[in-house]
Amino acid sequence: DATAGTSSDCKHCPCPGDSACAVVPKTKEVVCTNCTTGTTGKRCELCDDGFFGDPLGANGPVRACRACKCSDNIDPNAVGNCDRETGECLKCVYNTDGFFCDRCKEGFYGNALASNRSEKCKSCSCSSFGTVNRQTSCLQVTGQCQCLPHVTNRDCSACEPGFYNLQSGRGCERCNCNAIGSTN
Amino acid sequence: PRPDVSPLAPGTYLLFAQNGKIDHIPLDSQKMKKNEAKTLLHLPDKVVIAVAYDCVEKMVYWTDITGPSISKASLHGGDPVPIIRTGLGSPEGIAIDHLGRTMFWTDSMQDRIEVASLDGTKRRVLFDTDMVNPRPIIVDPVKGHLYWADWNRDGPKIEASHMDGTNRRTLVRDNLGLPNGLTYDPHTSLLCWADAGTRKVECMNLYYTDWRRDAVVAVDRTAGRETDEYLPQKRSRLYGITTAYSQCPSGQNYCAVN
Repeated sequence: DATAGTSSDCKHCPCPGDSACAVVPKTKEVVCTNCTTGTTGKRCELCDDGFFGDPLGANGPVRACRACKCSDNIDPNAVGNCDRETGECLKCVYNTDGFFCDRCKEGFYGNALASNRSEKCKSCSCSSFGTVNRQTSCLQVTGQCQCLPHVTNRDCSACEPGFYNLQSGRGCERCNCNAIGSTN
Repeated sequence: PRPDVSPLAPGTYLLFAQNGKIDHIPLDSQKMKKNEAKTLLHLPDKVVIAVAYDCVEKMVYWTDITGPSISKASLHGGDPVPIIRTGLGSPEGIAIDHLGRTMFWTDSMQDRIEVASLDGTKRRVLFDTDMVNPRPIIVDPVKGHLYWADWNRDGPKIEASHMDGTNRRTLVRDNLGLPNGLTYDPHTSLLCWADAGTRKVECMNLYYTDWRRDAVVAVDRTAGRETDEYLPQKRSRLYGITTAYSQCPSGQNYCAVN
């Protein structure tokens, strides 16, 4: 209060680097108004949207605000891409998932970290007839679906040679051809 | 004064969101009174995305993605009042029907559009199909129309429907990039959008915020050029923007009657 007429009327802003502040008229709360780029909050203690860290070390060591690290698997036009403190990625795209969008989400396989979008995460597309319990997920890297007995291919879509009846949904059955009457 | 521009009534403001605050700038016809710009609300721990204005009760409504929540506060000051705090993912657009006393919002995590009374009751899902990244939403209460845009990189579009959710249709599909902002001028019936992909404002109207410049920009839609720019002292991303008219556009709609 600059109008009271004492030398202690104006106080230093409680903001990093003596940056500017304002008093919210109703609540008399002091709010920093000029936090450095990437920081925000009453005392510049938070990171801006799109950044993460702990600029004042409120919950541990000081970590300056840095841009979200999500393996290039977020969209710059999105908001709320990562948790402002932990950095956990919240809006992974290209069918990726995980803390850093660094793996494929359930039901997809490939290399989430590939630079080319087409090499990133592809749908497992497991054959519903040939896959155990009609699962839709597969191994992360190879994309191998879990096949029923005598079923083959990455997506469990075919019978092994000498086997038939994939459609049964119980695995493939031996052909039992007569060796004398068959061509091979 | 130009004959083709209807002057704004005195007491009209621009309201815009910048991370944890909502600022306002008084308007004087086409000019922003930049030296009178000030922060209306400090919400330091929030990330405010969309703002909307209720001209009847002189209230500003906003969506916050940290809560996530939808809240309101009086333009004349006063504490924020939370309205909706559950069932939200990433609310990024909000529109107010001042006649029907309802609000509409987009949610780009749940991929849907919802509607509720201004007090948060009578909430229901209006649309939950064919949506990837819905963001801006506006309403034309007098005609009973709703407009929104989806910045889906694989198929951005601008859609419309009646306010009750009937007659959904796609208005624009071609030559869109990232339609992040939408506005409607009831005087000329012009629907306009700010596109961060093509970096154009098309059809042109009024004002928009710019992430590359961290600025509020004014454009003259008839001349097709920028007329003014406001750079907040603190440089960080700007989000939603709306005009706070001193008087409500008059009219009546079926939500107000029923």
